[in-house]
Amino acid sequence: MPDDRELLDTGASSQLLGDRFPGMAATDEAVMAISTEHLDGGDVLAKKPLGFLFWFAVTWVAVVFLAAILANVLPLQNPNVQNYSALNQGPSTAHWLGTDDLGRDLLARLIFGSRVSLIVGFCGVAIGLAIGGTAGLISGYKGGKLDIALNAGSFIILAFPAIVAVIAIVTFWGASLLHITIILGVGTIPLMFRVIRATSLSFAQRDFVIAAKTMGATDTRVVLREILPNVVPVMVTFSLITVAGIIVIEGTLAFLGLSVSLPTPSWGNLINEGTANNALSTDPFIMMWPALSMFLLLWSINLIGDRLRQRFDIREGLL
Amino acid sequence: MGKYLIRRFLQLVVVAFVISVLTFLLVHLLPGDPTTVILGPNDTAANRAILLKQLGLNLPLWQQYLTWIGAVFHGNLGTSYLNHQSVSHILATGAPVDLELIIISQFIAFAVAVPLALVTSRRPNKALDNVATTSTFGLLALPPFVVAPILVAVFAVGLGWFPATGYTPFTQSPAQNIHEMILPSVAITAGSIAVYYRLLRSDLISTLQQDFITMARSKGLSGRRIMWRHAFRPSSFSLLAAAGINIGALIAGTFVVELLFVLPGIGYALVQAVEQRDYLVVQGIALVVAVAYVLIQFIIDFIFTIVDPRVVRE
Amino acid sequence: MSVTEPQEISRRTFLSQGAKAGGAVVLAGAAGGALAACGSSTSGSSSTSAPSGSTPGVGTGSPVRGGSLTVGLVAEIDGFYPPNNHWDTNGFNYANAIYDPLCAVAADGSIQPYLCQSVTPNSTFDTWTMVLRPNVKFHDGSPLTSAVVVANFEALQASLLTGQALTQVTSATATDPMTVVYKLQAPNPGFAAGLTTQVGYVVGQAMIDAVKAGNPRATPVGTGPFVFQSWQPNDHFTVTRNPNYWRPGLPYLDQITFRPIPDTIQRESTLKTGGVDMIQSTDPDTIKRFSGQSGYQVVDTTTGVLGEPTVAFIMLNTAVAPTNDLSIRRALAQSLDQATIQKIFGGGYAKPINGLFLPGSPYYSETGFPTYDPAAAKKLVAQYAASHGTPKLTLLTITDPRLAQVVQIIQNMWNQVGFDVSISQIEQANLINDFIAGQFQATTSYQFGAIDPDLNYVWWSTTTVKPVGSIALNFPRNSDPVIEQNMLTGRHTTDQATRAKAYQTVNEQLAKDLPYLWLQQYVFTEVATSRVQNFANPTLPSGAKQYAYDEGIFVPTQIWLSK
Repeated sequence: MPDDRELLDTGASSQLLGDRFPGMAATDEAVMAISTEHLDGGDVLAKKPLGFLFWFAVTWVAVVFLAAILANVLPLQNPNVQNYSALNQGPSTAHWLGTDDLGRDLLARLIFGSRVSLIVGFCGVAIGLAIGGTAGLISGYKGGKLDIALNAGSFIILAFPAIVAVIAIVTFWGASLLHITIILGVGTIPLMFRVIRATSLSFAQRDFVIAAKTMGATDTRVVLREILPNVVPVMVTFSLITVAGIIVIEGTLAFLGLSVSLPTPSWGNLINEGTANNALSTDPFIMMWPALSMFLLLWSINLIGDRLRQRFDIREGLL
Repeated sequence: MGKYLIRRFLQLVVVAFVISVLTFLLVHLLPGDPTTVILGPNDTAANRAILLKQLGLNLPLWQQYLTWIGAVFHGNLGTSYLNHQSVSHILATGAPVDLELIIISQFIAFAVAVPLALVTSRRPNKALDNVATTSTFGLLALPPFVVAPILVAVFAVGLGWFPATGYTPFTQSPAQNIHEMILPSVAITAGSIAVYYRLLRSDLISTLQQDFITMARSKGLSGRRIMWRHAFRPSSFSLLAAAGINIGALIAGTFVVELLFVLPGIGYALVQAVEQRDYLVVQGIALVVAVAYVLIQFIIDFIFTIVDPRVVRE
Repeated sequence: MSVTEPQEISRRTFLSQGAKAGGAVVLAGAAGGALAACGSSTSGSSSTSAPSGSTPGVGTGSPVRGGSLTVGLVAEIDGFYPPNNHWDTNGFNYANAIYDPLCAVAADGSIQPYLCQSVTPNSTFDTWTMVLRPNVKFHDGSPLTSAVVVANFEALQASLLTGQALTQVTSATATDPMTVVYKLQAPNPGFAAGLTTQVGYVVGQAMIDAVKAGNPRATPVGTGPFVFQSWQPNDHFTVTRNPNYWRPGLPYLDQITFRPIPDTIQRESTLKTGGVDMIQSTDPDTIKRFSGQSGYQVVDTTTGVLGEPTVAFIMLNTAVAPTNDLSIRRALAQSLDQATIQKIFGGGYAKPINGLFLPGSPYYSETGFPTYDPAAAKKLVAQYAASHGTPKLTLLTITDPRLAQVVQIIQNMWNQVGFDVSISQIEQANLINDFIAGQFQATTSYQFGAIDPDLNYVWWSTTTVKPVGSIALNFPRNSDPVIEQNMLTGRHTTDQATRAKAYQTVNEQLAKDLPYLWLQQYVFTEVATSRVQNFANPTLPSGAKQYAYDEGIFVPTQIWLSK
């Protein structure tokens, strides 16, 4: 029996998988496989009620974001106030989540820390989307010399040893929330570019797009109206994974001393503080709360994405 | 075929060249130079000037670059200003370490992710799927510098099953080598498991929705046979793709486990070289790693052209 | 996490004045030997955990021959050639295995001959005659002769790294195959102390020749108790027993392997899992974690330091605002609660210090270093702020988790009295650059630990002060003629009382000028399993006890492993 997938071979495939930079074939294949699915299928998962877990996830995400935004107004203790007679304490009425190795309140540090992490994560990805995503969208659709040049550029950035670049740039430029966000954001540009370009390209060859062009739609209109809406699902999913990645990488930067200046908390450097100086033995809570929060946030976002997709029948959950 | 290869080769050259220039500029623009580390606090302006001259670092940048690139073409990547090890030696001893780390960790990642995905994709959103999803997100939230001390505390110090640090070359003692590499490999595997699992699961679910699967089922083929023969193979392409990208990320990320487990790998050597302004080491390693990355992508691409019938080769 | 463990700038690493030393002189037969460096007179040991009836580090029972010892060190070094590589404590631990120094420090603080048989000054202390031990062979079989020692000297003098240390020596001549005569520019009663430092370690002619011929990685050749076998940087350094060692019956061990393990907890874990038999540590909490644990012996420098201890401090730049203002420096000093810092940062083991010397040292006195008085500090800051605005400064440190802790504590304490302090973590190499160029306001540091105060001359002299931006070894740029005068007095006098007074004055001046805010003693610790015998009980060739644990440096010669 012929493999049905072989029958999907269209001009799009050959253009997509043909002459490009090494490695493009691989990514593009992956992205295409995921994105060019039956948008009308999905009998397997009929419309289900959103469920308790969904609302739990929504609540958690809302709580995290609101707490980060309203941190200054909330009745929290000062995250930087050190209390030398209350070192390494576990949860208590005075400190709901306990204290760290310098006696600082862990709840306050967690919430103020979420600001840094969320900003770095979401703004960093926003940078990647804005620059890399837009470039990918256009490049995938238009092709040609622009495409080749941008491909080359993204490939070079990916092949460059990231750690050297980060150390060099932070040493040169100094470490601050803005700088770190920009550095990590720029680092996501080639990834966004690659993924969105592949998606854009795969859709650019679809009948409905060709039809629109034949009817005289301008390029801009085609990109915005026909391609972009179809690219959005992939974009969203991939971005969320990348947010997670960036928040974790910020932790590794803190490990190397390259992140925001002390004593500013961030989930990444809280986790780092919670592992250094034998803190895992003396006060595991320091590391536990940020790790748990991050885990819940990722899981919640993913769950929300999944359920919404099921609900609106776009596609089965991706990543 | 020939044209294809030539074009690929040219692309490799372009990438290598650009990266060589970028790395060179980046390290030379950093404040300071190796004289501080070499001379330490026993420094005078005169000595520093003499040493810079001896090392050839007082020449204009373009000249230094050309000297270096010229040497590279003759196969000489230079030596460290600090301990005088040749860059080639650092790479030759470090590469097997990282290679092994990556291979073992990817093996573990696949060994966990693939069966898990095969099972849960048939029954999405049921109990096992939810547990698996939850756990993989937990793994994503734990970076290697957190996982490593926990692994050591539990499995090395606590249970005594593995050593805490150290590296024996594979050629010297394969058994001991594997024994020492397990904890570090597990420490960097976490993220990979998550990515592969989610990717494969998603791809499998969409594949399973397709008509040819329904057709196979209607023919009466067993579930297992469907999964393995018809669903997995097409879905594995994306896995392969992800592995290719992931390896690039891993190459950059082995530094932390190398530091903690004292593995003499390239990541640690690179970071140390940057901090000590050991220019030639940084440049040499960056160049070789970039070339290796390009080659790996090339090989993966090539595998695709052979394996995937839809790909057109010129 | 620091990639390379900070190389503390101790007397061992600082070579400029290594041989220009004034100081303790007790040599075979020398009259008028001034005994300068005294701490407590026992070799350092904190008697915490050990099999009952025994002292940690002191072997019980008779020595057992054979066996292989593995030692976990704090960091790797760059090489084994004294003219080219500067050694920190790790370097000296390697060096003590394969080389011998010309002189060594005894447990009572005096300088004794080691590889040489004697080194005698003339009456004016400007000519020193060294007689070498007979029948000593290098590892390659070549004999130890005066020609080789002179060749070593010449290589050291020609080196950018060590040349400065030897500028005071105008010549070193081999007058006969076993005798070397050093002529000095000016009288220096403490010349011999320099021969215990890096410039005193002797390597074989073959190694000198190989390096000169262009091979900087020449195989190390020494006279020491062990022979170099292999070195894989950042992995291991292995040495094997020297069967022809000149000290009879020594060494006991067959082999030693050194393994640099940068992360403290991982190093301790490796000890616990048996990957190493012994570790070194610069984290005082190591003492806490192993004290009282059966199966381990702990030796540390909280007791038994000879001379100055290595000290952790905050260094202030007296040449830039706002730290150029003495009242600001006083305020910074008065707002530091040493006791709390020691409790958290020092694990409670490091002692409070008011200066460079510990009680028991002849140079110790009540220095008048400001005590903790935050109210007074607030007043001073307010006064300053009235005319200059809130004093802002940046506290620099390296990327090390322990230091990250202490700078946050210090920042907090300073902010509470009205300063506006920000923290900046930078790489080790950059930090040293900043010290040298004077581009800092406040920074963490640890240094000193000299066997004799004269070795600190270059750090405190008015002659080594240069403007900000130029290279200067008086990092804080504290130009104090009283200190200069007293350092010179201490260097040239042989009268103990005068000497003591001079250095006490220097210490008191430092407490007045406040270029350094003393935090605590920087503690070195070694922990070994109970199998490792006699790792902190070395004896000199003469039979007298040697300084057992010199600021993180141990001697491997007389270690054995019990069954």
